[in-house]
Amino acid sequence: MERFGENYLEERKLVKRWKGPIPAIVSLAFTLAIFYATWWIFQDPRGWMRMYTPYVGYMYTRWWLIVLIWMVYLFNYWPFKRSWLENSHPLLKGAVLTAISVGVLYVLIKGFFEGLLGNLGLAYFNPGQLMKLPGVTEFFAIEYAALACLMFAALASWLSPAWIVACEEAPWQDLKQPGKGVSILVMTFFLSTVIYFMTMHSHMGILYYPWQYFTSIAPPYWEKFANTVSGNFHVSWIMCCTVSVWLVETIWERYPFNLIKKNGLRRVVAFFGIIVIAFAMHFFLYFAQELTWGPAIRGTRRDFAPDWRWLHVGEMAVFFLVPALFITFYCNNWPKKFSMPANVVIRTVITIIAAILLYIFYYKTSHLFLGTQKGFSHPQQFPMIPTIWLINIWLAHHWFMDNWPGWKMVPKTADEIAKDHEMKEAMIQDIRWNPTFGWGLGVGVVAGVAVYFITVGLLPVFYSAINIIK
Amino acid sequence: MSENKGNINRRDFLKGASMGIVGGTLATMLVYSYSPWRKARFPKVKRKLADIGACKNIKITNISETSWFDNASLMGDIKGAGGLLVNQYDYNWPPFGDGSGLGKGSYQKGIAKIKHLLPDKLDEAWAVTEKASVHPENAGGYACLIEMEELDGKKHKYLLDSGWSYKWTDECFKREGIDRMLKNREIEALFISHEHFDHFWGLPVTLKYDPNITLIIPDGFYPEGLQYIQDAGHKGKLIKVKPGLNPVVPGFASFVFAIPIICRVYGEQSLYFNIKDKGLVSVTGCCHQSIIQFAETAFREIKYENDNLYGVYGGLHISPFEDWDPKYDDLVLSLGKYGFEKIGCNHCTGILCAKKFIAANYPVVRGTARFRSKDTAYLGNGDKIGFGIEV
Repeated sequence: MERFGENYLEERKLVKRWKGPIPAIVSLAFTLAIFYATWWIFQDPRGWMRMYTPYVGYMYTRWWLIVLIWMVYLFNYWPFKRSWLENSHPLLKGAVLTAISVGVLYVLIKGFFEGLLGNLGLAYFNPGQLMKLPGVTEFFAIEYAALACLMFAALASWLSPAWIVACEEAPWQDLKQPGKGVSILVMTFFLSTVIYFMTMHSHMGILYYPWQYFTSIAPPYWEKFANTVSGNFHVSWIMCCTVSVWLVETIWERYPFNLIKKNGLRRVVAFFGIIVIAFAMHFFLYFAQELTWGPAIRGTRRDFAPDWRWLHVGEMAVFFLVPALFITFYCNNWPKKFSMPANVVIRTVITIIAAILLYIFYYKTSHLFLGTQKGFSHPQQFPMIPTIWLINIWLAHHWFMDNWPGWKMVPKTADEIAKDHEMKEAMIQDIRWNPTFGWGLGVGVVAGVAVYFITVGLLPVFYSAINIIK
Repeated sequence: MSENKGNINRRDFLKGASMGIVGGTLATMLVYSYSPWRKARFPKVKRKLADIGACKNIKITNISETSWFDNASLMGDIKGAGGLLVNQYDYNWPPFGDGSGLGKGSYQKGIAKIKHLLPDKLDEAWAVTEKASVHPENAGGYACLIEMEELDGKKHKYLLDSGWSYKWTDECFKREGIDRMLKNREIEALFISHEHFDHFWGLPVTLKYDPNITLIIPDGFYPEGLQYIQDAGHKGKLIKVKPGLNPVVPGFASFVFAIPIICRVYGEQSLYFNIKDKGLVSVTGCCHQSIIQFAETAFREIKYENDNLYGVYGGLHISPFEDWDPKYDDLVLSLGKYGFEKIGCNHCTGILCAKKFIAANYPVVRGTARFRSKDTAYLGNGDKIGFGIEV
């Protein structure tokens, strides 16, 4: 029977065309070239379409990410057949699938958000409706509407992959496409909508004068805890959820949740465990800013304002995603020779170091080539736009183009697939709980606490030793 | 699985330790990082208490706060040119219009058309640029006159900013008698708050009357801005102020904040005046750093009368385009804690924000809405305000 793209990613073998790191270097150069060309065409404030206004460009960047996830993770490339995926040239596949993703993106924004929701439900999704308000200019009407779509995107970019990674597609894992994709899409969209109303709607409600007390809770419930009425508090932890999902999926190989044997328990623990990890990141990255720049002061602007600090937590988190995906996509998730937890720790340490270096590089140099401006806290400076834009290109390259030209795709044989499953199961068995882990675990926990406090102690020293913005 | 149950072997130990490190670090991140305990790690604020002296009073004349007259036109231009990150010299706004259209200009092409006319033939220069620029009729500008009296009675006059449109700025200068003061060299210095078009591009109007005036700018001007100072005909002393405190005369200091600003501008200079027996007054062009940051900086850096934040004049950069964001409400909700007794806001504060201040019962000094200022909710063109003196 003809199949679509179910398990295509798992069942493809990417064979290096050249030895050593050359394929990774070629891929990096190739994707960076595409990044810069498309950045200039679509985003750059000096370029052609200049969508980096910033919210319009940001909104399309975020939703494009989600459409890519939908196409591959939710719909498993449906309606494309496995034979087409396996036999078409990567350039053709890349062009066709990317074009479809852009088409879906356009229909989603213009048709669903602006057309349907904006005209029939919530005016703030439609710039035309917003311009009916006295004093609202076209520029800000477009920006506000893009912001609303963007906030929705933040949720969808967490929940869509989380349903696959954590919940393992349950309870629809045995459905055929497109039934499975539609079911998960409806579920994650529904959850996104509910959480949107509880986390973002109040932000939109107080964006207009006077505060929209009768349609949204104002001031919002998080005001005292977050020290701001801005919805950036939620953008922060939700962004951390998105990053955590992908860390768990890529460099963590779904560890430690894959140690849980019972399916239902594993899925629930993974879903909420990712949220817990995200909150740990959310609080820590905020604290890191307090340690380096000093405590936030409510009512200020820029880098001392709590709302900006929360936003910057999300921005910092994305810097971790970039090296994590690179390790998985282009370094075959190196290293693999140790036990899974040891591999995870090594990859995490590499990711953290690479993310810090990337962060410093971005703020030191990006204004020289992205058309943005130097400084941490320019109100239109959103590092999430170029980083997610690059991630989108990597996703298209890895998912749609099989890492061409550095790698060649060869379908795995049935034996190879079975062997993979056996090895994976053996690796998990190897690290399932054993009382002899106890000493190591205890020492590890103490070491983990020590790592935290040493990091906290060193951060201000480290930050004062480097001059990022001259 | 370990073959030596009950014994510790290196591999099992490392497996457990790896799990433990990840778990221990994450758990501590979660529990400690946003807890009240973390505050013990914040360094205590050490007040530098720099003595800038005190002055008797200051009087401020609002020469112009209307930087542009039609918000929709300005934002339409910004949208059409590609948004708020586009280099301000590329918009093709006057006086750097070159006829190539919105978002396609440059300093070099624009200045080439008018350089030979600066600073003396401004009417002619404006007539040239009007034909080559986008929305020249929308250009206004920001400028104010500060008259300060020292404790011994000695008086000083300073200009803060020099507007945008040559035509509008010259008209405002004549209305308030600034042209005469400049010709008579009564004004000691022109402080430029930042490089933005509406504060800086009207520079030739000041230089027309006094090309030798001392010009004090914040560090961070881009090459085009520095070139414009020369091309506009400045012959006096140019002082670039580094980030931080810059005492001027007893009771008066400027402070430069190294911050990125929209339309590719970097750095803002704001002014502190310490009024005897009253407290500190802040005078700002746009205050992109925020008035609360300005107040907090004063608390950390300088000594002022009665430890009291007395007053504010100028743009507070909250809703310059009459836009809004919940973070602006954070400012509106928090400003009351700082206890300012006299708030003379205008310009990029935004009318909506001034109305929110009034609704919060803050001591906003109302204006007269003359000379094209739009609302009495804040100090308009031609209005005056005194600190330590009634006007």
